[in-house]
Amino acid sequence: MQLIIKIAWRNIMRHRGKSLVIGVILFVGALLMTVGNGVISGMDKGLRKNIINGFTGDIVLVAESQESDAVFMDMMGKSVEPINNFKQVDSLLKTVDMLKDWVPIGKNGAMVLNEEGGAPGFTFLIGMDFERYRRMFPNTMKAVEGRLLEPGEKGVLVPTGARKQMFEVSNIWFIPEGCGIDTTQMFPEAKEALSGLVSKQNIVFMGMGADNTSTDIRLGIKGIVRYNALNHIWGHFGLVDIESYRTCLGYISAKDKASLELSDDDKSLLEDDGTDLDNLFSSDGMMTDNVFASTSVAAVETVPSTTVASAEQPEAVVTDLDDGAYNLVLVLLKDHEKLDEKVKLLNERLKAANLGVRAISWKKAIGAIGSMAVLIKSALFLFVMFLFFVAIIIIVNTLSMAALERTSEIGMMRAVGARKGFISTMFLGETALLSFFFGGLGIVVGYSVVRILAALKFTSDNDMVQLLFGGDTFHPLLSGGDIMLAIIQLAFVTLLAVVYPMSVARSITPLDAITRE
Amino acid sequence: MNIIEISKLKKDYALGKTTVHALRGIDLSIEKGDLISIIGPSGSGKTTLLNVIGCIDEATEGSVKVGDREITRMNDKEITDLRLHHVGFIFQTFNLIPVLNAIENVEFPLLLMKKQSKVEIRKRAEKLIDEVGLREYMKHRPAELSGGQRQRVAIARALVTNPDIVLADEPTANLDSVTGAQILDLMKEMNRIEKTTFIFSTHDANVLKYANSVVKIRDGLIAEEA
Repeated sequence: MQLIIKIAWRNIMRHRGKSLVIGVILFVGALLMTVGNGVISGMDKGLRKNIINGFTGDIVLVAESQESDAVFMDMMGKSVEPINNFKQVDSLLKTVDMLKDWVPIGKNGAMVLNEEGGAPGFTFLIGMDFERYRRMFPNTMKAVEGRLLEPGEKGVLVPTGARKQMFEVSNIWFIPEGCGIDTTQMFPEAKEALSGLVSKQNIVFMGMGADNTSTDIRLGIKGIVRYNALNHIWGHFGLVDIESYRTCLGYISAKDKASLELSDDDKSLLEDDGTDLDNLFSSDGMMTDNVFASTSVAAVETVPSTTVASAEQPEAVVTDLDDGAYNLVLVLLKDHEKLDEKVKLLNERLKAANLGVRAISWKKAIGAIGSMAVLIKSALFLFVMFLFFVAIIIIVNTLSMAALERTSEIGMMRAVGARKGFISTMFLGETALLSFFFGGLGIVVGYSVVRILAALKFTSDNDMVQLLFGGDTFHPLLSGGDIMLAIIQLAFVTLLAVVYPMSVARSITPLDAITRE
Repeated sequence: MNIIEISKLKKDYALGKTTVHALRGIDLSIEKGDLISIIGPSGSGKTTLLNVIGCIDEATEGSVKVGDREITRMNDKEITDLRLHHVGFIFQTFNLIPVLNAIENVEFPLLLMKKQSKVEIRKRAEKLIDEVGLREYMKHRPAELSGGQRQRVAIARALVTNPDIVLADEPTANLDSVTGAQILDLMKEMNRIEKTTFIFSTHDANVLKYANSVVKIRDGLIAEEA
């Protein structure tokens, strides 16, 4: 081996020009590959952090009757099926060890009515118990105008993206209650239209129920919010309290459910066969009080309305929010690894309990965004592989030429007793040395570039770029595993590049050398 | 005792649509320790004969025995091992590994054999370098040596493994007459010291001064043995 390394090293030094060409290719390849790995890794971790921990959780539970898995971004515009038995689902989830936390939400689309007579807009609504939602996804958003929802409060939080979208459709600028127009938060087109701009502090949403009835609700805007990451994507979802959401979408609200619970007198009244009419009319069942069960998770309910009505007038009815309908349950895992296995495991548990609910991964739930992220990641990976493919071609060509130019030397070595294996090892040794020094340098420089890029904290507002960044900020990163992957990729490229030249060198015979002379 | 037994050796080359009969049926026996010169005009088959004996080229027909081994039936690995352990080569021009110095070139076959320690290998190589008169140049690379000095290194390398035979294809062709004569003298001297069989082809008219016997080849056949 010492002899091979000695010959390999001296040959590298003897053919400096060729060695430099191959070395530079390996350097650039390793550099780009390392940076590429850093970007992919940063994107992966960024997306995981910003999507899983900021919006969807690892696993999303949907009704079994739900057709499409892309429940957040269904391009077909179909409603997400309701989950009417969350309490039972909740009980089951409490028995599953691998889960860290979960939160039920409503998610569907609603029209944004234009009271100025213009075209109505459309927005996705997420209905939630905001306090519970914030417990699971803390620090994901901040109010840039107004404030966030208080516990149990009714109202809507409008993300900046949704406000922009609504402005573009209806030419109305939505602002929080009690606030004036903050021009610092306006984008150029809105500023240009400032003089004739109509501002509103509440929004009328019109939701479509499953029975094709529509319900309009007016909700006061409590705040304009911005997500800390991927705001342009999540910013299209209006955030409303869950009971207003249910009212708007025609779902069974917690209050409706509570109203349906009958007292013993009510039940006996319904069961009465009418044989004792006197008793029927004298029953106390005709005059019951509106007393409902109360739980720790409570909210003040409003009157559902089929006309434009304020949904914020409190009534003295205290209900358990989980009695009503939801669309999704967002589940966070204790450990994010082996997601598919855990989805499968959870599905087995759900199926065994026959709850009419199934689990899907966040990637499926996020639909087009998840696919886009995978697409960008794949494109980046293919780009790096393409670079290496080109590098391999150039290295193969250069080394093959070098092998042919060294026919005399190789032929003579074979003549004095060197086996084919020795020639192969000598060639591999030369390329491996080049790969070690130049490729190693490429990885070191690539690592430094990744660190510098991460330190520079580039930000972008562009949706696609944000997907590439895995968030608002470009934060490529390299773990030990990523560096090991780069080394393995480099070794693989080296091996691949040397196979053909090695076979060329192996095939050189002493006779070839003599003939050439 | 014969170290080489050649019987009815034929070698044909395809040259386009025609076939060149380089060797047309050679019968030759060479005794161990002999110093033989093969002479003949260009294209007579000298180099082809040496190449077949040295397992560099394959015979088309016939039998070639080196020692008691029939080389025409050997595979690549066996042939390589035979060249390493039993045959030494001295070529006209392509002789040395350019990136190794003189002593390292001489050591090269022994390092391939992996039978001796580094100290033993160095000792053996130095002895041969001494014998060919290049002690002062042992650290020089081939590019830093003259043609004659390179051939001396090649001779030392050919002998370092104690081979049964050393084949030299026109070792003096690229040398001036004085240097050529010195190389032939050296080969004769090494034949005497190492008791190794030398077979070389040459154009040197005074070949009989160096060789114990001469084989004349013409048109792929042995014309005369003297």
